Amino acid sequence: MPRLKVLTVDAVSEIDAEFREGRAFTSAAGVSEALGWDLKTEGLCRGDVCVPIRDEAAVLDGDRVDLGGVADLLGMASLLDEEASALAVSAPSADRRAALKDRVAPDFELPDVDGNLHSLEEFKDRKRLLIAFASW
Amino acid sequence: MIGVFLDESADDVREWAEGISFPVLVDREHLLADLYAVSNVPTVIWIDADGSVARPNSAEVGTDLFKDFSGITPDKHMQQVRDWVRNGALPDDAAGEVDDLSDAEIEARLAFRLATHSRREGNSDRAAHWFSTAAELAPLDFTIRRAAMPLQGVDPFGEEFFELFGEWREAGSPYHGLARS
Repeated sequence: MPRLKVLTVDAVSEIDAEFREGRAFTSAAGVSEALGWDLKTEGLCRGDVCVPIRDEAAVLDGDRVDLGGVADLLGMASLLDEEASALAVSAPSADRRAALKDRVAPDFELPDVDGNLHSLEEFKDRKRLLIAFASW
Repeated sequence: MIGVFLDESADDVREWAEGISFPVLVDREHLLADLYAVSNVPTVIWIDADGSVARPNSAEVGTDLFKDFSGITPDKHMQQVRDWVRNGALPDDAAGEVDDLSDAEIEARLAFRLATHSRREGNSDRAAHWFSTAAELAPLDFTIRRAAMPLQGVDPFGEEFFELFGEWREAGSPYHGLARS
């Protein structure tokens, strides 16, 4: 079984997957591993939240699961590089809409130059100035 | 203050972080370009104590370094920040709305992710393919075009950058954020 690297905005996981007609299929376990959402009878679940699968054909093919279809259902865009066996997945669009439309700042966690993780939530209850910069 | 550098490695960022007392983070997957629709740097976002966005994306600088080049000075913004921190006062433009990313801009970010992945795996041909794809999808997004330059051995302060800047100006200086006042 070929291995597929799933690249989300904050992690890389490697799962068993096969490609059919330009789409990547994996097991329910692969979906959990790569995206952190579990396939249950109620749909795709994470914690207390479940997203029902209204169009099964867009997500399931027998016991194989279409990763792109799952990403889509969760409001995440994806792009497959079959040749390099990698699938890039975006952050959920709902999180960005929360920032831009609802003006609710989505939390995130990133390392500092010494590798220590910091989050926006770490400084909650304080005014924060978030400065995006670059060496370029 | 929280600095987030959209750079490939801590090494690229370390010298900028020297002597800085606030957290300086390394965002090598360009999470902020997705989550907050950041399309160029510097971009400053004011976040209130309750976690709401008090003032969304705007292009502000912290030093006079690029004043001559961009015409932006830090003084006005720093005064506005002081007024906000001390009195909770918000400038008139704080209520402005930032446009969401287009499908092409979202796809460009995914292509860029595939490019950096291939590059890290030592596959420069595949990386070049994806950098090129990303550039076609979002030609006026600096987190796509300019960020790719050092990753392809191109000086982000050189000729190609000036060409990009010209293109961008000619297209009306598009930016996901508040218009410069």
